[in-house]
Amino acid sequence: MTDLLALVVQQSINGIYLGCLYVMVALGLTLIYGVLNQINFAHADFVTVGAFAAFFTVTRLGTKLLGLPDTAAYLLSMVTALGVGAGLGLAINAAVFAPLRERGDELRPLIATIGVSVLLENFQLWLFGPIPFQFDSPFSRETIRIGRIFFTAQSVLVVAVSAVSIAALYAFMKFTFLGKALRAVAQDRETAGLMGINPNLLIALTIVIASALAGMGGALLGPVLVLTPFAGATVIVKSFAIVIIGGFGNVQGTIIAGLLVGVIEAFTVQYLGSGLIDLVVFVLLLVMLVVRPTGLIAERKEENV
Amino acid sequence: MSARTVGFVIAVLVVGALPWLLQAPYWRGILVLCAMNVLLAISLNLVLGYTGQLNLGQSAFFAIGAYVSTILVKTYAWNFWAASLAAVAAAGLLGLALAAFAVRLRGHYLAIASLGFAVITYQVLVNWEKVTEGVRGIYGVLPPVGSMVGLFYLVAGIALAVYVLIDNLVRSPVGDTLRAIREDEVSAASLGINGALWKAFAFGLGAAIAGLAGCFYPGFVGTLVPDAFNIIESFTMMAMVIVGGMGTMIGPVIGAIVLTFLPELLRDFGEFRLMVYGLALTLVVLFMPGGIVQAWRTLAGRQWHT
Repeated sequence: MTDLLALVVQQSINGIYLGCLYVMVALGLTLIYGVLNQINFAHADFVTVGAFAAFFTVTRLGTKLLGLPDTAAYLLSMVTALGVGAGLGLAINAAVFAPLRERGDELRPLIATIGVSVLLENFQLWLFGPIPFQFDSPFSRETIRIGRIFFTAQSVLVVAVSAVSIAALYAFMKFTFLGKALRAVAQDRETAGLMGINPNLLIALTIVIASALAGMGGALLGPVLVLTPFAGATVIVKSFAIVIIGGFGNVQGTIIAGLLVGVIEAFTVQYLGSGLIDLVVFVLLLVMLVVRPTGLIAERKEENV
Repeated sequence: MSARTVGFVIAVLVVGALPWLLQAPYWRGILVLCAMNVLLAISLNLVLGYTGQLNLGQSAFFAIGAYVSTILVKTYAWNFWAASLAAVAAAGLLGLALAAFAVRLRGHYLAIASLGFAVITYQVLVNWEKVTEGVRGIYGVLPPVGSMVGLFYLVAGIALAVYVLIDNLVRSPVGDTLRAIREDEVSAASLGINGALWKAFAFGLGAAIAGLAGCFYPGFVGTLVPDAFNIIESFTMMAMVIVGGMGTMIGPVIGAIVLTFLPELLRDFGEFRLMVYGLALTLVVLFMPGGIVQAWRTLAGRQWHT
């Protein structure tokens, strides 16, 4: 293998690993947009809360209280983060989305969730302080080498967990009754209601699933991020970029866009320096908005553009 | 004298008396900050409240005003007022650039495009070190007037003038045009209103006012770092507009005053400043959608009119 090829393969792998993490976050945003036509601005703060929940599960509950080996503690932390995320989803639906839905306003829920985001970040700042936490995954220590390509067991785990989550979500949407009902609500809430589907319940379910994904994303992202109360803020802007590039509410587009942004980020780090990542991603976003506002895979949502 | 003139005279008297009621240097500093926030809230309200465009990028224009004026003064030895004029023009032009997106995008898409706009501006400030000094920041920036009281009178005077100007603007047919776009752009277009043109006008003017506020910020704090213009600044401006009552003239002013002083009063309880903003924003949207102004009008039993 030539040097250049090895480099390209290596950075592509790094990019896909990052991309999978972004997909976990962006997928939730897109799911909520799909059924509710709303943006949860606090979504990425659920990632931060999930990361902190995972961190304390590993350092306190898992290894100290239960005496688990650190690999098992890390796997357990993914479950707690998932649960914490689901709880937050339930809470934000009850507090913000459900009460505001009846008023049918487009932008108020977004503004309210911006408030929730600011509140969550600063509440965590008060709780945990501004100094970053060192969140190590035991899987990051295992390096796998194939020829001249290196990657960690953590990246394999991340890609595997993302792939399983996406596959489970797909199967749920495609093959279960609930999933079918959910798609019906996304397509036409009123008609779905007339068919005996309770839209409120399904919207709540969607928000819970999306938030659970964000929470688990936190457990996976924790070791990558500088874990501070504002860690989510660095991911949220990128997630928005991914959701727009992929087309709002479009799950397939979001997955492709997430991987794409991950790979672009890896190559930006290689060739331009890490300081320019956000700049590159957002210039891409603005270009995309002007050239093709419906996203990579065009769908029906023309009226919002 | 009309009610408006009376209100203006009272406002002038209050502004004149304030530095002598709050004599501690710390509180005089907060007064300057408050006047700046009033300017910023008015600027965002023009776009968000009157034209109905959710703009999350207002912090970018505040930043451009601050950076352009400071760099012209410090690096190119310009006179402060000439530099400010250039800075206001630069912010206004950038506002027109964002308006180009607002012409094509609506609702959530515009919100995210404007957010992206603010992120890009922030990243340019961080990365273009040759000009902006990056995260190291620019130090030793002098205010245009020596004393804190003088600076307060200057910024508050400008805020008052801008208020009167915009108040007259929104009561003119131009205000009706902007409100028509806010309520229904298609209907507005059917009445012969050029939506693109008027959105550009609102974004440009709003950006220029935010840029004007930005000219005074670096001299006030003495240093200039990109972190002062993080996205969170856009959210605090939005909180002021919404908590006060968007789409009214006095609402954002009240919001700016309340949200400048309230966190200061709670300072003893620790890092509560931004928690207050978050909580206020959420609670007002949920329970008091018209903000303080509407709540007051409801309580006073008066009729709702903008």
